[in-house]
Amino acid sequence: MSSPFESYDDLEDADERLQAADPGERRVAIIALGQSGDPAAVGYLKNMVSDPDAGVRQQVAMALGEFDGPESAAALAQLLVDPEPIVASAAADSMAEFKDPACADAILPLVTHGHAFVRMGALRALKELRRKDTLKPALEALQDADAAVRVQAIGVIGFLKLEESIPALTASTADPDAHVRRAAVSALAFSQMKPAADSITRALKDEDWMVREMAAETLGSNANGLVAADQLIAALSDAFWQVRLKAIRSLGKMKVDRAVRPIGGCITHEQANLRKESAAALGEIADSAAEPFLALVANDSDPEVRKNARWALQQITARKAKISS
Amino acid sequence: MPLASYQTSVPVVVDDVKCIADKGCTVCVDVCPLDVLRISDMTGKAYMAYDECWYCMPCEADCPTGAVTVNIPYLLK
Repeated sequence: MSSPFESYDDLEDADERLQAADPGERRVAIIALGQSGDPAAVGYLKNMVSDPDAGVRQQVAMALGEFDGPESAAALAQLLVDPEPIVASAAADSMAEFKDPACADAILPLVTHGHAFVRMGALRALKELRRKDTLKPALEALQDADAAVRVQAIGVIGFLKLEESIPALTASTADPDAHVRRAAVSALAFSQMKPAADSITRALKDEDWMVREMAAETLGSNANGLVAADQLIAALSDAFWQVRLKAIRSLGKMKVDRAVRPIGGCITHEQANLRKESAAALGEIADSAAEPFLALVANDSDPEVRKNARWALQQITARKAKISS
Repeated sequence: MPLASYQTSVPVVVDDVKCIADKGCTVCVDVCPLDVLRISDMTGKAYMAYDECWYCMPCEADCPTGAVTVNIPYLLK
């Protein structure tokens, strides 16, 4: 597919149109600069961040997202504090695409900005830059009055994957906002240490089902997740099937033999995906005690359930053969 | 490919007031994988020339001015 702007011979052609009186023409020139892929376009784009037309500034914010680097980040930092929400929002989205750690220099000062949206956008952008000096401002942002800012701060901390941040993340699992607690449980997944597993285990009793669901899922990939096997088995009686499903999956992944009967009790649930997950988990555990439960879904109405049940029985047979040989 | 040679109801509707195709923008035309959008020689605005939409949505999502609306049939929602 050819470029819509191939009629522009070079960036200077687009630059001429940036001076046009019609905002539509300026906008088209900005799209051309964004699609040019030429890093020199950033110089022209950053001169447009004060354009009187909000739509043009929004387009500048979108176009700058194509050029990862500190020069773009500095221009987007100006647009993130734009009074027009469409401009600030486009700037936040573009910033979040950056991967060059050098971009953090322009973004870091915005972490303490007066507007919550700016603080949130800045932290969201810092997340993927993974610069160690972003840890301190992110930890401070955990005390922010705005829950959305605290969620993004947890994202920054989680991406850094530093064991020293475990106490702060653990404290956030008791945050008054459920979204923050859920983010904190998710962020703790990077740590394979017991304190992280203990915090996630406590989250299995959270009042919000989405936090419990995240805890049940995260424990399955934690090296110390087995310490929470009993709590995960208890989660199979959770009022929300979403929590039960993740608990089943984690118990299967960790191959918890004593979970066979409790999981077997879920295999005839009216939700097909719960039956499917139960059959898969019984296959992962591959204990012969699961055979009567798998027989219950041998002729299940859902082909995915039948497929998983057949696979589970094969796993059990293979395990038996391995033991007898 | 059938040509919609008469006025009809098509899934992709372009707001002529918002559309800046007459200023040189061809984003919707270029992102369409089925190549069913065109710029009108008469109005200079984008329009759906062939009713073969897959409802993949980039034309609506990428339009810089929000001029494009894709009306998804109820049964696909």
